[in-house]
Amino acid sequence: MELGLDVRKVDSRAVVDVKGEIDVYTAPKLREKLIELVTEGSYDVIVNLEGVDFLDSTGLGVLVGALKRVKAHDGSLALVCTQDKILKIFKITGLTKVFPIHETVEAAAGAVTS
Amino acid sequence: MPSVDLQIPARAPFVGVVRLALASLARGAGLDEEKVDDLKIAVSEACATAVLLAEGSDPAPPIDVRWNDDGDRLTVEITDSAPRSDETADAGDSLSLSSRAVMSEALLRTLVHDYESTQTPEGTVTRLRIDR
Repeated sequence: MELGLDVRKVDSRAVVDVKGEIDVYTAPKLREKLIELVTEGSYDVIVNLEGVDFLDSTGLGVLVGALKRVKAHDGSLALVCTQDKILKIFKITGLTKVFPIHETVEAAAGAVTS
Repeated sequence: MPSVDLQIPARAPFVGVVRLALASLARGAGLDEEKVDDLKIAVSEACATAVLLAEGSDPAPPIDVRWNDDGDRLTVEITDSAPRSDETADAGDSLSLSSRAVMSEALLRTLVHDYESTQTPEGTVTRLRIDR
């Protein structure tokens, strides 16, 4: 089981395009990538979950951890997701109130985040 | 359909194997894709908890998974012997096991029709039920 992680820049934001399944096995790889971005000075991050087939609480934990990291630098972390099965996970855990979730990377990049 | 038993080591790479196998069984039992997705998450949550709690245990303790289809309902029992005493310990830099546990519990309670976790002499048994 592989997790694909591609990083690109849109405007001044780092966009992480995630592909595959995020679970207890693959979540550490995502965590390392997000830590690396913050360490390199990318404090405004967009995580694109459109290519994600599966997400569990370990993946959510990584995203929450990354949010704390960017917030510590007055940054932001936005998500891109339109898949019902993934959005459902955020709704059940109450994280739709924590993360700005957008339908496209462009919308996330253009959004004003606090 | 008779019951199906699986056993994996409580290590992260094997959780996907259980997910794949149970998704296949659930589809074969006629569950729609939404219920299959819900079951995959619930099973992964139970297995991931056992894997995280078994970190540092060498050799890895087993996780036993039993699938049963009695016609009206499907049940999955996940039995693990990972120690629970450290469940609230800090697991690392960004996420403690306790905060993950809260999210995991919310998912388990919501995604299946019935969920319970009990301690037995053999370990922790997590029972999931999905009605047709």
